[in-house]
Amino acid sequence: MPKTLKNRLSRGLRAGVRAAAVVLSLAALPAFAAEWPTRPVTIVVPAGAGGGSDGTARILSKYLKEEFGQQFNVLNLGQGGGVVGINRIVNAEPDGYTLGVLFNFAHYKEMGQADFTLDDFTPIAQYNFDPAGFQVRDDSPFKTVNQALDAIKADPAKYTIACAGGCGGSWPVAVATLLDRWGVDLAKVRMIPGQGAAAAMQDLAAGGVDFVPSSLPEADAMLRTGTVRSLAVFGPERQENFPDVPSLKEATGLELELGSFRGLVAPAGLPDDIRAKLEAAMKAIYANPEWQADMKARGFNPQWRDSEAFADYLKQHTADVQALFAKMDL
Amino acid sequence: MDVILDALSQVFTLKVLGIMAASALYGLMVGAIPGLTATLAVALMVPITFFMDPVPAIAAIVTMAAMAIFAGDLPAVLLRMPGTPASAAYTDQAYRFTQAGRGEYILGISACTSAIGGSIGVLALMFGAPLLARFALNFSSFEYFWLATLGLTAAIMVGGTQVSRSAVSLLLGLLVASVGIDPVSGETRFTFGSDALLGGFGFIPVIIGLFAVAEILRYCTRSVSERELPQVPQQPLYWRALCDALRHKLGILRGSVTGTLIGALPGAGADIAAYIAYAMGRRHRGATATDEGAVAQIAPATAANNAAVGGSFIPATVFGIPGDSLTAIVIGVLLMKGLNPGPTIFTDNASMINAVFLAFLLANLMLIPFGFLSVRLFKQVLRIPQGLLMPSILLFAMVGAYAVENSLFAVVTILVFGVLGFLLEENDFPLAPMILGIVLGPLLEETFVTSMMRSNGSFLAFFERPVSLTLALITAAVWLAPPLLRLWREHRTPRPALTD
Repeated sequence: MPKTLKNRLSRGLRAGVRAAAVVLSLAALPAFAAEWPTRPVTIVVPAGAGGGSDGTARILSKYLKEEFGQQFNVLNLGQGGGVVGINRIVNAEPDGYTLGVLFNFAHYKEMGQADFTLDDFTPIAQYNFDPAGFQVRDDSPFKTVNQALDAIKADPAKYTIACAGGCGGSWPVAVATLLDRWGVDLAKVRMIPGQGAAAAMQDLAAGGVDFVPSSLPEADAMLRTGTVRSLAVFGPERQENFPDVPSLKEATGLELELGSFRGLVAPAGLPDDIRAKLEAAMKAIYANPEWQADMKARGFNPQWRDSEAFADYLKQHTADVQALFAKMDL
Repeated sequence: MDVILDALSQVFTLKVLGIMAASALYGLMVGAIPGLTATLAVALMVPITFFMDPVPAIAAIVTMAAMAIFAGDLPAVLLRMPGTPASAAYTDQAYRFTQAGRGEYILGISACTSAIGGSIGVLALMFGAPLLARFALNFSSFEYFWLATLGLTAAIMVGGTQVSRSAVSLLLGLLVASVGIDPVSGETRFTFGSDALLGGFGFIPVIIGLFAVAEILRYCTRSVSERELPQVPQQPLYWRALCDALRHKLGILRGSVTGTLIGALPGAGADIAAYIAYAMGRRHRGATATDEGAVAQIAPATAANNAAVGGSFIPATVFGIPGDSLTAIVIGVLLMKGLNPGPTIFTDNASMINAVFLAFLLANLMLIPFGFLSVRLFKQVLRIPQGLLMPSILLFAMVGAYAVENSLFAVVTILVFGVLGFLLEENDFPLAPMILGIVLGPLLEETFVTSMMRSNGSFLAFFERPVSLTLALITAAVWLAPPLLRLWREHRTPRPALTD
């Protein structure tokens, strides 16, 4: 019995109706179970081969195949910074044969690059969240994130912050959210766009920018060479693999979790029973220690939200990004 | 020494050597088919490497990459259709050898120089990686801007004798590159409301169109009697190629060093390296029409693109910074195998990383026998009647384009650019500058705009950093030296100038 369906029905429905619905949906399940999936399923990754989203999708496809006995093929569509791939998910038939990996997406609409919204997707489950780290060059005068934030607040135009990609992406939005909380005038902050986290880290080492937000695994090699330092990781607690990097909460007391999420979605209108099957499979995969180990080996931080919680999270994400863009000068 | 011996014992096992031989054949096949790139070949192989030990897994990938870059020369030389963008710079000149029946000879040269260049790249990786990685870390947007400018200058120089026609071709390339989402502000440009154009034109479909499809169109326009003619029979491959290649020691060394350095810069890869090395060769010898002169130009470029593969592993292993999509995949595999990139990789896993490097070196040496073998095999395509060959190539081109971009729009792209390439060639516009325009356009734009954002609009910032100033001076010298030299010469010998 799908949990979310149960939750939804429990709202305001009498017990008898609820029982009937339960029986009905249970009766309907086996019929569909025989039908889906009868052929290989495509997982659209709106990013190029070899990157983080691609990595998580390929790990996932291996386990989904084990769950359903069908091939789950990864289709990379990284053109246009992800817009092309997300449009492909949105415009696909909601028949369960096209799924997609969705990450922080609300900025595309705000930047006028696309018009998809939350309503264009059927959220299935969130499986990954990587909190942003905030990196400086080793010779930077800032020793703590508080010093850095105060300095930026005092003179926002003095420092440059790399966007580690387009300036609407998850990392710059994470920093902007924090700066906003700190009372910095976002319109004056200088955000520098670029070609992704790796290029931004290189630029940081070369002295091109003052701050780079990115996930800690993306900064790992340079952290270990001592070329750069990470001032904080934007979450409630320290990361397992990076015990030396303080969490935002212990450094500033702020209860913020900022970074990049990844979840499995389908186009809007996916039949409820297929969604429920996928959600159950995702839950089983999430609980599988082998999957957890595979994810951690690549530096991805597993995080679980079921279909309903993921939908709420996406709604919150959209609202946050809209509020932020109103203040940013891009 | 123990480390090296241990590494040797890890590489010289039947299993590793067998896997390398199989990957070599796979890499040669993929690289030789226009449209299938080294990156695609590696991406397809990653799931298989999950089940292998680290040394054979990475040995397989590096062998395949080295072979694929060389194999791009096969269709470039024999059919005038570069298999990978890294071969585009010298395609025209090399094809002239095939027309004279000496295609195998130039491919033999290419196999030898690729092996030498690749080996130099790997040796640099083994012994100079930390140092060279530090060098690469000096490059911020200001330096990349000048590198892009130098690259575009090289593109004009490889285009042929007529600078104005090369410039037109280059500007067309820059225009094509600007379609889609602007890399800096995220605005959409020249998309005319089409979703398909949002991502811009895919680079691989464009290059397939410009070269392969245009070549097919050219075939179609030939008269029936011309079409029936057998292709030029190729003289057998001379082992002399080996000795001849060695006669251009200095050029090859120059090409290899250029290739290694450019490859070591994240974001600049084998294609830019080949262009710059080719342009340097051209400057060096002038636009000579002799075979000897042509070999002197091609040899450094074929060495450079293979050297760049080794070079691109330098920032990848030392800092975990991928130089291109190929090394991004390799970093993923390294992580998966518990070999975390970083300077400690050379101490923590010394024997394993050295085994990987030795396999890489071996892969480059294997280029000579495997390269010669592949030339013998691949030249058989010239015996296929063109009426069968051309449609098959068109089919491969379409499938390849679709495979790279995963969209039907890519197939449209190759057809449109096929017509464009055909028209340009018929009117004597060279295509090579256009290709580099497309490669460097986004880099040039992004580095210029972000540099200006950083410096708050001051142009002086482009000359303030030592490396950037050096590159600026080199660029200015390349631009100004020829006209100044000409002026000086005319001044010294007040005779009527010779017409070219």
